[in-house]
Amino acid sequence: MKLQVKLALYNTLTKVAIILFTGLLILLSIEKISYNHIEVRLEEKKEATLRSLSSREINSFLAAQKVYTDYNILKEEFITITPVKYEANTPSKVTFSTETRKVERNMETYRILSNRFNFNEHTYLLEIGETIESVEELKSIIKKFTLLVLFIALVLTLISDLVFTKFLLAPFYKIIDRKLIKVNDPMNFDYEKIQTTTQDFELLDDSISSLMKKISNLFILEKQFIANVSHELLTPISIISSRLENILLHEELSEGSENKMHASLKTLNRLKSIINSLLLISKVENNQFDKGDMVMIAGVIKEIHEELEDRIDEKHLTFTNHLKYIYSIQGNRPLMHTLLFNIINNSIKYNTTKGSITISDDLNDDIYAITIADTGIGMEQKQIDNAFNRFEKFDTDEKESYGLGLAIVKSITAFHNINIKINSVKNKGTAVKLIFDNQV
Amino acid sequence: MNVLIVEDEKGLALEVDEFLSHEGFTVEHARTKKSAEEKIFVNNYDFILLDLGLPDGDGFDLLKMLKGLEKRDDAVIILTARGAVDDRVMGLEQGADDYLAKPFSLSELLARMHAITRRKHRLESNDINIKGLRVNIQNRTVMYNDERINLTKKEFEIFNYLVLNKNRVISRTNLTEHVWGDVLEINSDSNFVDVHVKNLRKKLSQYIPIDWFETVRSIGYRINI
Repeated sequence: MKLQVKLALYNTLTKVAIILFTGLLILLSIEKISYNHIEVRLEEKKEATLRSLSSREINSFLAAQKVYTDYNILKEEFITITPVKYEANTPSKVTFSTETRKVERNMETYRILSNRFNFNEHTYLLEIGETIESVEELKSIIKKFTLLVLFIALVLTLISDLVFTKFLLAPFYKIIDRKLIKVNDPMNFDYEKIQTTTQDFELLDDSISSLMKKISNLFILEKQFIANVSHELLTPISIISSRLENILLHEELSEGSENKMHASLKTLNRLKSIINSLLLISKVENNQFDKGDMVMIAGVIKEIHEELEDRIDEKHLTFTNHLKYIYSIQGNRPLMHTLLFNIINNSIKYNTTKGSITISDDLNDDIYAITIADTGIGMEQKQIDNAFNRFEKFDTDEKESYGLGLAIVKSITAFHNINIKINSVKNKGTAVKLIFDNQV
Repeated sequence: MNVLIVEDEKGLALEVDEFLSHEGFTVEHARTKKSAEEKIFVNNYDFILLDLGLPDGDGFDLLKMLKGLEKRDDAVIILTARGAVDDRVMGLEQGADDYLAKPFSLSELLARMHAITRRKHRLESNDINIKGLRVNIQNRTVMYNDERINLTKKEFEIFNYLVLNKNRVISRTNLTEHVWGDVLEINSDSNFVDVHVKNLRKKLSQYIPIDWFETVRSIGYRINI
């Protein structure tokens, strides 16, 4: 859940709780206060009733040991005096209760005062009631009002919180977007500060910037290191190979020595190839290549086919080009050439004599994909998993394999945001699929 | 022809010196930018072999300085281990005639120097005559008695390279590198070349006997004249 939503929900919940609490409080206190008022009035009425006990009207009832009942027209209040069993020492205790009574066919809820008292050697129960309908009504109005306020407050706070937190968090998302998501190269990092008055975000912004500074310093260091290493290694190789070539110029050399010189030159060349390949991978990974060319895939394939024609013929392979689309990507042409060259070269290298290589493409939802399939020796799943690792090589008759071809392929595909998939069946063949999604 | 080697690595300079002297060049050597500057001011050279990473400065500065001088026609070949594409492009843009990434083979260097010489001096006879075959570097053709021998681009490259380095054994690796370039194709298998050479031989032998086109077992090829 987004922080914005979480904050809004939290705010809403607390507000609901506060309103509910105050509503309940008001409700309870109103009940208490009005009951209090009623009770005070009932108390006064009791006093008045007890004073008028000797009045003729009531007295006649009492003398006859009958129940005396009196109520007003709207039955808002009533008085009953009921004779009960005589007890000499009746404590004059006043109790209050809320009960529903039936007064002349009408059920009403009353607050009732009950009091036992002795009069003329008899004990009577005095009950005075006052309807609390008005209180109940007030309570229900307050309930409704509270609910309404609750609902409005809920909606208002939810909306206002969402809007406000959105406003508040805008710099945060800006930082995430500009400083983290859109950064794929620490060298081109945007150090400009995001405008915000929130200190926490400023801190975040500064921290990311300083982290990036450290990373890009490391990047620069690595680039320098690679450039230096390449220089330091390639120069001695250069000297040795020149020296060997010069020695070969001397005609008095025996055939055996000459062969050894040439073998050494070959080994040196191998060393040079490995260094150059590692350098290439590092340069690609350090984004030291320009991506400004429009590269037409079909054109590159055609070129590579021409270059490799002799090898294809030599192995009696059938090369089928099924490309249907003229598709161009923005990238680095020499790198794209190397990428496709390495893949096609592998499909020749690991093919069987009289096998075939098929190149096909398709366009789905504007996503272009090209597949290079061969009928070669194939790979097991474990081999596929390791195929892109450096210095990983498979049993091959070819001597000059350094296990760097697919590592180069991987770095170039990553550089161009190309998705690469390998499908392979042992002894059946391999299909390498390049999917050109995420093209920037 | 005189050559100035601007290279701080003494070992390499000596080897190049030995090789080029053997080929009949007069060689001078400068190890720093400063001494190179002095030499370039005083003398005209046919070739300047320029290393970019000098102890007291960038080789590019020398190139700029040279291009600023009037009436100078010194051919510049940049020799560097930096190998960055930028360097290559920048070097050629600033007027270098060629660019070789270290480590390079001396025969490749010689072939490049020959190519530049022919380009620069527009030799009356651009043709090299090999046993009645005329190799024209400019037009990239091989003729026999006014009849053009139909060679592919790669076959011509191989033949041309062997001719320029005649009487020397050229290894398969060396040939591969020359024909395929040294930069990106690490899977350059040596038997690539064999196929081309086989075809090349077949084509040439239709015109003249080619016993001079030798295979040096397990190493490479030599044109022995």
